[in-house]
Amino acid sequence: MLKIDNVSKTYKKGNKEALKNINLDIGKGEFTALLGQNGAGKTTLINILAGNVQKTKGIVTIGGYDLDNNSLETKRIIGIVPQEVGHDYVFTIEEMLKKQSGYFGIKNNKNYIDDLLEELSLKDKRKVTARELSGGMKRRLLIAKALVHKPKILILDEPTAGVDIELRRSMYGFLNKLHGEGTTIILTTHYIEEAEKLCKRIIVIDDGKIIEDQPKEKLMGLFSENTRIKFEFDYDINSSDIEFLEEYSPIIKENRELQIKVNKSDLSKVLRLVSERGLKFVDINVDKPKLEDIYLKLIRH
Amino acid sequence: MKAFYNRYGFMTLLTREIHRFTKVSIQTILAPLLSNILYLAIFGAMLQTREVGIDGVSFLNFLVPGLTTMGALMAAFQNPAFSLIAQKFQSTIQDLNSYPISDVEKSLAFILGGTFRGFLVGILTYTATIPFVGSQISNPILFFFSICVTSFIFASVGLVCGLILDNFEKMNFALAIVITPLSYLGGVFFEVSKLPGILSYIGLINPIYPLVNITRYAYLGIYEGNIWVHGIMALIFLSVAFITSLIIFRKGIGIKTR
Repeated sequence: MLKIDNVSKTYKKGNKEALKNINLDIGKGEFTALLGQNGAGKTTLINILAGNVQKTKGIVTIGGYDLDNNSLETKRIIGIVPQEVGHDYVFTIEEMLKKQSGYFGIKNNKNYIDDLLEELSLKDKRKVTARELSGGMKRRLLIAKALVHKPKILILDEPTAGVDIELRRSMYGFLNKLHGEGTTIILTTHYIEEAEKLCKRIIVIDDGKIIEDQPKEKLMGLFSENTRIKFEFDYDINSSDIEFLEEYSPIIKENRELQIKVNKSDLSKVLRLVSERGLKFVDINVDKPKLEDIYLKLIRH
Repeated sequence: MKAFYNRYGFMTLLTREIHRFTKVSIQTILAPLLSNILYLAIFGAMLQTREVGIDGVSFLNFLVPGLTTMGALMAAFQNPAFSLIAQKFQSTIQDLNSYPISDVEKSLAFILGGTFRGFLVGILTYTATIPFVGSQISNPILFFFSICVTSFIFASVGLVCGLILDNFEKMNFALAIVITPLSYLGGVFFEVSKLPGILSYIGLINPIYPLVNITRYAYLGIYEGNIWVHGIMALIFLSVAFITSLIIFRKGIGIKTR
């Protein structure tokens, strides 16, 4: 659905190399997260796909169309939700979405616009201009604008930045629904748990290069030594009691809590050891590896 | 890329450009109309007896085609320039890159939107002068055509400015130091030949001068100089302005990051 071959970008201003030989192949219906720090190159990549930035080299194919030779065809296939919130304040929401449909050559789109407004909780705002919308509503309007032409690929550049938790959850539900209907979704986000919850594939960009590209489960499996186990005791323990756990980086907190880091495959062995040594814990808590930990580990390397 | 790809998309962008200025018609239509009527009332009344160098033509009659042309070109210039700079200001300028509409179609939509506004202000200015001088036009077809061509040229110039300038202050600066002086020195209020010294030669390179003269000829039926030379000059200005705007749009200046 989306193929990126050896794409590089060096900005003329400042001669900054933002992307270095990026290769990517995203299949139909995938839900992919694009993670990376500020300035890593995520937005540059999205802007190349959107036609806002001219790549320095490489080939991009969107839905089978070459971005250089058939750029107009590619625009019907993708919908972009930009990072920066911007709206035309002259027109009402309804007028704006009707015009947006028209730019894509769609004449009668009222029913779909109504559905979108309903789905994004904007229906009662249809007759007002974007000036009268709250921050969260403006972000949802960006999503509505990106979807009026029913794109096969939806690219969202930090769609939930500054959006409250409740609204974020309703957005997740909406994105999952779109994904269920077959839309290919690419999401960049600063909320790593968002990528963990929604996406099936994780791509990490750092300094203009892809440093990791894995299915989420596999990626998390690769870093499973990050599983944290917390034991709680109803008596004080000291470091001599836990010498046998040395290889699992034990930490004692407030004398009665023990934390260790264990690889999944060692889990039963560790529990057996603890029980053999007569450590009588009253509670146990297993912290599965978090994408956030993995992400931080990746970008620190 | 095909020059014409999405007719409905083009029409939508063109109607958007028209819809935008009609939504704020007090600023975009009424304000220039009022200032043109003021020009007519003040200059016309004060200088009514002034000789204009054309036999049997009063200064008021002389002024009407000049004001009509100036009203049209100012409005035509401002429409695309303002629209694009406002889009930069609202962070929606890059939306233009997401539409499946060719660069030629997009440029034409902005230029024709501006042409329509220029034509409208021009015609309304002319209409407002009727109570003062009557409605007679020597060659109505040429009169309206000339206002259209003038508007098209300055809408193209407005498009170029809207693309290369990034804020309203710069646009006002361009208006104040280029467009307004050229209008004043282009024969709107007096004959260019009566300008002192070197300023009278400015008419030769001032794109507004032949346009005002052609409109004046269409209105009064009397022409000084060679209308064909001015016709060719107008055609050259039109081609240069239109092609420059297409090239700048195609290059993505002001819209795309290079």
